[in-house]
Amino acid sequence: MEQQAIWAIGIFLVIYALIISEKVHRTIVAMIGGLLMVALGIVDQETALHHIDFNTLGLLIGMMIIVSITADTGLFKFIAVWAAKKSKGNPVRILIALALITAIGSAFLDNVTTVLLMVPVTFSITRQLRVPPIPFLITQIIASNVGGTATLIGDPPNIMIGSAVKELTFMAFINNLAPIAALVMVIYIPIFVLLFRKQIQTTPELTKSIMDLDEKELITNHKLLRKCLTVLGLTILGFFLHQSLHLESATVALAGAFVLLLLTGEHMMEEAFTKVEWTTIFFFVGLFVLVSGLIETGVIAKLAAQAIELTNGDVVATSLLILWLSAIASAFLDNIPFVATMIPMIQEMGNMGVSDLEPLWWSLALGACLGGNGSLIGASANLIVAGMSGKEGHPIKFVQFLKYGFPLMLLSIVLSSFYVYFRYLM
Amino acid sequence: MQLTYRFDQECVQIREAADGADIEFEIKILQNGILLKGIKEVQKKFEENSVYTDVLFYAYEDHKYKVIVRKDYYVEFILALMERQILRSVEWV
Repeated sequence: MEQQAIWAIGIFLVIYALIISEKVHRTIVAMIGGLLMVALGIVDQETALHHIDFNTLGLLIGMMIIVSITADTGLFKFIAVWAAKKSKGNPVRILIALALITAIGSAFLDNVTTVLLMVPVTFSITRQLRVPPIPFLITQIIASNVGGTATLIGDPPNIMIGSAVKELTFMAFINNLAPIAALVMVIYIPIFVLLFRKQIQTTPELTKSIMDLDEKELITNHKLLRKCLTVLGLTILGFFLHQSLHLESATVALAGAFVLLLLTGEHMMEEAFTKVEWTTIFFFVGLFVLVSGLIETGVIAKLAAQAIELTNGDVVATSLLILWLSAIASAFLDNIPFVATMIPMIQEMGNMGVSDLEPLWWSLALGACLGGNGSLIGASANLIVAGMSGKEGHPIKFVQFLKYGFPLMLLSIVLSSFYVYFRYLM
Repeated sequence: MQLTYRFDQECVQIREAADGADIEFEIKILQNGILLKGIKEVQKKFEENSVYTDVLFYAYEDHKYKVIVRKDYYVEFILALMERQILRSVEWV
């Protein structure tokens, strides 16, 4: 193996270990890893820039701007309280309603943003009902990862896969992943009820206090809300049509964001930009450059060749290997760097003669997204909810989440294995 | 030292009661205008900060609000009401 490749592997492993250890912020670590790849001449700057997927970054930034402005109107709080009232103030029904809202929101906004919007309103509703918030938060974490699986924009792994593989359009993701995500959610709901119903009992008086709430008061700016809903609707429509319009998903999201800023005026721009999660954006930049070192030195090609050797190039075995490996890895590692590494590996398998890559891509998406439910550190949404909850005096313990998340994750991966096999491999 | 406050009973009704680790307020704004705008601004202030459970607002019909205030945010909440002229005076006794 060439010296450069050994350096690339060394940097990659050290950076990966530092990301897992969480001793230093993952963005700083990933950026340093990427910069080391350039500084040591493993990739030149031009090549490094070429490897940064601006479609992923543009899509994330565009959606963050649209959602941050829309959140200012009180829309998401309105939806949550409206759903709580429709649930007749019953905590079990509210738990289901909030989980479903989280799943649907995650599919069309992205799961990290959705949980950021759902957690504050969950604290508010559970305090009013005097029930513990943790069962609600755990179900929302799980629902966010399932909902995010359903679409191209729902979860960072899907954004990255959709961006890397041009044939996998927004509609392709919905056609291929939404049915299994919906099935998993349908199976999870009664399990949530069985697991948590005893912990979330309340009194008729507190139920009534939810029913008496005036959700219309939560809408703070009707004019802005109309603009946001119009732009959000057009943006989602744009995602459905992006292939026919010959536009990348990032173009659609950024167009939506800047049209909304044009409609709302300059005063919203500064605030909207401060709400973009720049740490996440730079984490992606660092990772893309870090992985580029492995690609350019041929390490990824070697790994792909070994995977093909292991499965004899059999698509069934390779798909199931990717599905389960992604799920287990994503349960205990950050799924974003894992997917960043797997994407070029699957592309390389295509170059090596594996003709039908489609089942492999869906296996990767299902494993990485649903695998995130396996532990509290499995996905960005999990860490964000756990952080917010802990700060408010309701820490979600690693083992506590594992007890619920891991068996549910295994169940979803078993279902996904059947789905992938019967839909693509039979 | 305890914080006491006064308000104009023609314009606003305020009742507070201890509720475990929190203080629960019932606030009814009797006149549209500056006080209604003020209470919404207080709500916005606490909803936009980085603590989610410091002061929780629940809006009901007829400009009635239930506000659950964590004990460690009591003073900040009272001063925010004062700042928006919902209270007439605040005093340490």
